[in-house]
Amino acid sequence: MLRYLFLTCFSLLVSLTAGLAAPAKQVKVKMLIKTDSSAISVRHFDSATLNQYRAKKEFHFTKDSYVEESLWDRFWTWLRNLFRLKNKQGAGELFNIIIKYGFIVLGLAALIFLIFKLIGVDAFNVIKGRSASAPLLHDESVEDIYTINFDAEVEKAVNQQNYRFAVRLMYLRVLKQLSDAGQIHWELNKTNSIYVNELTNAEQRLAFKLLTRQFEYIWYGELIIDAAAFKKINALFDGFKIKMA
Amino acid sequence: MEDEIFEQRTDLSKLNNAVEQIKAALAHIIVGQHHAIDLILAGLLADGHILIEGVPGVAKTLTAKLIAKAIDARYSRIQFTPDLMPSDVLGTSVFNPKNSEFEFRRGPIFGNIILIDEINRSPAKTQSALFEVMEERQVTIDGTTYKMDEPFIVLATQNPIEQEGTYRLPEAQLDRFIFKIEIKYPTLEEEISIITRQHQQNPTDQLSHIKPVLSTQDIISLRQQVKGLHVEPKLLEFTAKIIHETRNNKSLYLGGSPRASLAIINAAKAMAAIKGRDFITPDDIIGVAAPVLRHRIMLTPDKEMEGVTPDEVVAQIIQKIEVPR
Repeated sequence: MLRYLFLTCFSLLVSLTAGLAAPAKQVKVKMLIKTDSSAISVRHFDSATLNQYRAKKEFHFTKDSYVEESLWDRFWTWLRNLFRLKNKQGAGELFNIIIKYGFIVLGLAALIFLIFKLIGVDAFNVIKGRSASAPLLHDESVEDIYTINFDAEVEKAVNQQNYRFAVRLMYLRVLKQLSDAGQIHWELNKTNSIYVNELTNAEQRLAFKLLTRQFEYIWYGELIIDAAAFKKINALFDGFKIKMA
Repeated sequence: MEDEIFEQRTDLSKLNNAVEQIKAALAHIIVGQHHAIDLILAGLLADGHILIEGVPGVAKTLTAKLIAKAIDARYSRIQFTPDLMPSDVLGTSVFNPKNSEFEFRRGPIFGNIILIDEINRSPAKTQSALFEVMEERQVTIDGTTYKMDEPFIVLATQNPIEQEGTYRLPEAQLDRFIFKIEIKYPTLEEEISIITRQHQQNPTDQLSHIKPVLSTQDIISLRQQVKGLHVEPKLLEFTAKIIHETRNNKSLYLGGSPRASLAIINAAKAMAAIKGRDFITPDDIIGVAAPVLRHRIMLTPDKEMEGVTPDEVVAQIIQKIEVPR
């Protein structure tokens, strides 16, 4: 065993010593070039598939040098120009922020308005803090003072000795005359006292107040009057007619 | 009236004198509030109970006390508190050991003029004790019915519902009040006048100025007189149209009751009598419509949110209806 080990070490030593002492000789190795003689078939990308990929936005990695401005972009450009912010970078950003939050506020306001509309609340009145004065329609009027032939109707009532009704017609005639003269503004929902207060002439107002009181006493007070009493009332109306003239 | 062609069919001189005396006596103490005082007097003459609403310190209780003092009648005052029980108002059966029987001890409601101060500080349980007595003028306890003496008038004061510690009165109870009278803050001139008159005066001395003007019998007879005033049928129709419209108005979810229609006519009669007329006019009806309706009608929540008041809705309704003439 030791013998084999000695021989191995000795041969190794000899070979190493020989390697260091003598320069290495160039060994020419004959290269073997293998050639592939098989037929080559050229493969191409499927143009349809390529076109399909080209058409996809995700595969467009370069920006177009010129993109045609849409109407929306033109609007913003115009808006920026309007505020002279086109080339001022900082101001442009500020403008964008204002616009962005402005839209958010507007959107919220529109949403609140929509909610109010849905629950039937008038949002403008809430803001103003006052009630809406809804336009109200009048009920059908029994009589229209502008269509009554007062002279004929009063005469008819007097002939029938319906003096109470005659007084009513005479009072309505006075209201019509005052309205025609522009001294009162005739409306179906106004009370007699409102018409009294509408008169600006103090003397006329006093006379009309007295006339109104007599009319109310007879009409609302359901007073049945005779010819003598009617005569007195008629005189009052005549007197007022003179005051009006 | 000297400029009158016709003589009055009803002698209202006693009523007018009494009203003038009460108003003159009150004018020594209460500054302004003329319309409120007219309405209180109209309420008394129309056999109604009156609710007076206002913020603290505007002389609601004082006005009610003065009115009560101007009438020679049994007066009692109940201060409504959150812990008040119905039996504290109506009375209760107490065991008498002498005869081993329960005896009914009458509560403060038994009187002619009952001042209920701060009525909305008690919850609905206590309020319900007033339902029977206010409408039917009687109290039923333990199966026994006790009739109230005539006249029986409830004068109640309350703070607005927005104030701390108040409850909303039940609708059924509110409908039993002929008027809700709102007492507003005085004007600057009125405020100066109040301070000038009262800064050296003891508040308790104020009541001593008032002497009874009317007896209970006077009140009963004047009420009869007011009841008999003329009402033209078209004016009844006018009133019915107003009430009917409150039931169909989009701003309201609770309209006026038939009791409200009657209240308007009775109140308008009383107002006409105070003005010296034995008949009512559309002005009388319009004049009392808001105080009669403002506590009876209920606004829809959206209108309440918008800040619409019942008075505004009543005014809009009246505007819609043709005045009969």
